[in-house]
Amino acid sequence: MTVKSSFATAVGKSSYWFLHTFFHGGSSLPGKLALRIDPDVLTAFAKKYDLVIVTGTNGKTLTTALSVRVARQKFNHVLTNPTGSNMKQGIVTTFLTAPRLNKKGLAILEVDEANVAMVCSYIKPRAFILTNIFRDQMDRYGEIYTTYKKILKGIRMVPQATIIANGDEQLFNSVDLPNPVIYYGFDNGYQDDLRAPANTDGLLCPKCQHILHYHLRTYSNLGNYFCPHCGFHRPKLTHAVTAVNNQTPNSSDFAIDGHPAHIAIGGTYNIYNALAAYSLGRFLGVQPAQISRAFNADERVFGRQEEFQLGDKTVTLILVKNPVGLNQVLDMITTDKRPFSFVFLLNANYADGIDTSWIWDGNFEKLKDYQIPQFMTGGERYRDISTRLMMAGIDNVWHEKDLTKVINKIKQLPTKQVYVLATYTAVLQLRKELAEKGVVKGGMD
Amino acid sequence: MAQYHLQLAHLYGDLMNTYGDIGNITALKYYAKQMDTEIDAKVISMGDDFIANDFDLALFGGGQDYEQMVISKDIQGKRAELVKFIENDKPLIAICGGYQLLGHYYIGADGEKIPGIGALDHYTLSQDHHRFIGDIVIENPELGKLHGFENHNGRTFIGKSERPLGTVLSGHGNNGEDKTEGAIYKSTYCSYFHGPILTRNGEIAKKMLLTALHNKYPNDDFSQQESLEIKPTF
Repeated sequence: MTVKSSFATAVGKSSYWFLHTFFHGGSSLPGKLALRIDPDVLTAFAKKYDLVIVTGTNGKTLTTALSVRVARQKFNHVLTNPTGSNMKQGIVTTFLTAPRLNKKGLAILEVDEANVAMVCSYIKPRAFILTNIFRDQMDRYGEIYTTYKKILKGIRMVPQATIIANGDEQLFNSVDLPNPVIYYGFDNGYQDDLRAPANTDGLLCPKCQHILHYHLRTYSNLGNYFCPHCGFHRPKLTHAVTAVNNQTPNSSDFAIDGHPAHIAIGGTYNIYNALAAYSLGRFLGVQPAQISRAFNADERVFGRQEEFQLGDKTVTLILVKNPVGLNQVLDMITTDKRPFSFVFLLNANYADGIDTSWIWDGNFEKLKDYQIPQFMTGGERYRDISTRLMMAGIDNVWHEKDLTKVINKIKQLPTKQVYVLATYTAVLQLRKELAEKGVVKGGMD
Repeated sequence: MAQYHLQLAHLYGDLMNTYGDIGNITALKYYAKQMDTEIDAKVISMGDDFIANDFDLALFGGGQDYEQMVISKDIQGKRAELVKFIENDKPLIAICGGYQLLGHYYIGADGEKIPGIGALDHYTLSQDHHRFIGDIVIENPELGKLHGFENHNGRTFIGKSERPLGTVLSGHGNNGEDKTEGAIYKSTYCSYFHGPILTRNGEIAKKMLLTALHNKYPNDDFSQQESLEIKPTF
């Protein structure tokens, strides 16, 4: 380490301590200070750790969390970044606060799609996990093809790194790369010929530009795809979900490569995350029984959701940010057999995406099948989400623009279970209110 | 069972739906129900035949650059029937990329000229590393104020046979220069509005539905449907 970067480390550490002690939440500012002093600080730290990068649109956070658990079954020193701190500064912060090791450690880091190339220019990862690529906030990242190109720019710098990719995502099979590739996907059913719904992105065959069909479709454009026109099809899977047995909002029971698995979180998208973690575990030499033990650990995993108690209500707060994620959340909460109320808080600040059109790709119509006794809308753009529910044919809706009043209204809902779906800044605002009332801890993961 | 039935063609619906454009069908169905009318939507995509006489309404949404380039080739085979549909005064709403492809051409992301079908008399240029993004309000003399969200790189210039959908009150509109937004030709409505447009501007949905009903059921009395009050949603 150079004198300059030692100094950079000291600056970064003290500010992290300061922020951590007094504000409970600055997970990227220390990194920012350190980078200003020495941009090579990442390189200096990289010598101490083998790196696995987890990237893609949805599922980065939970895949990273599960992968860390799995890796800890075999490795003593596994480093990761705090939830959501997936930009360059957050990654530097993670290394700054890492324990000094005598031998090389393993780092499993969630990296934002647009930052993969930047990280790869400093550190050569040993493996990449690619989750999926969906339409996100278009005003920020552009199209799915552009997003994949950004990731590829990083991968191309490291041709020896193993790619552990979602085989059900056709984009990950659209470009030939010199890297070794491990594909994972779903293999729990087979039909002759299925089609995706009209408002699905990424349905064009990358070889001949015809519409892809499916033998099995899990959600969005993911599944066992094939092109009836040119024969392009899903690659051979190394690891597969071979059965999905039971799904509730808080649990999933399934099998990978024939081994039964259980995770304490619902949603098909989280089974994909577990499958990705399993695939990394196998790549690192962790045994299926150990992986199963890691999944079973008596510790809830939350990703971008949390649960808290508000009076007699059990409230599940879930971050929603794009249509694919939203539809997966709607699928997940409707596996709840208990009566529940439904709240949607919509803001349209920069971090939420300033265009609210994406809510129209949410399949709210399906909620009509579940006798939900009360709906509520809130946030600065509550009228947009209210219109969405109205046009879905839902009429038992309370409207409460003011998030400070939402908390009291939640207490008046007729069910014990309450699901609150909220965009990024709405989550922040709601959590601030809840923290002031002592319901949740301050800051946001 | 509803008394009236309308067939809607969702043009390239599986490829052109980038900003919740499908919500326009949700809005049409919502207002149609109040007019005792049921809408059947069918996706007409790559390689499918489009037959103008089979449909009463159409939606042509926006897409990503790559998808639009692919469609630019396929749609030439549907040109004659699309022109027939439009010239027969059947209501069509075209958003963003759909709007561009109904015109003569547009300039793609890498500066290439991508042909439309020239059914309408507009053309679209590009701008370097810039997009028109944000909330927009326009005024149409008949329909009043219309609200939307624009997000486009294209700068569209409408032809003599077209009227704008409205005059820009705030935002950028077709090209950021001439204060026009969108285009109207016969019963074809074009716009850069997301939102989606018909969910925020029910008056356009109502007008499209009434035109479609009069076209299909020329001898029926639709005065009740005409009296439907559209409540503001935005």
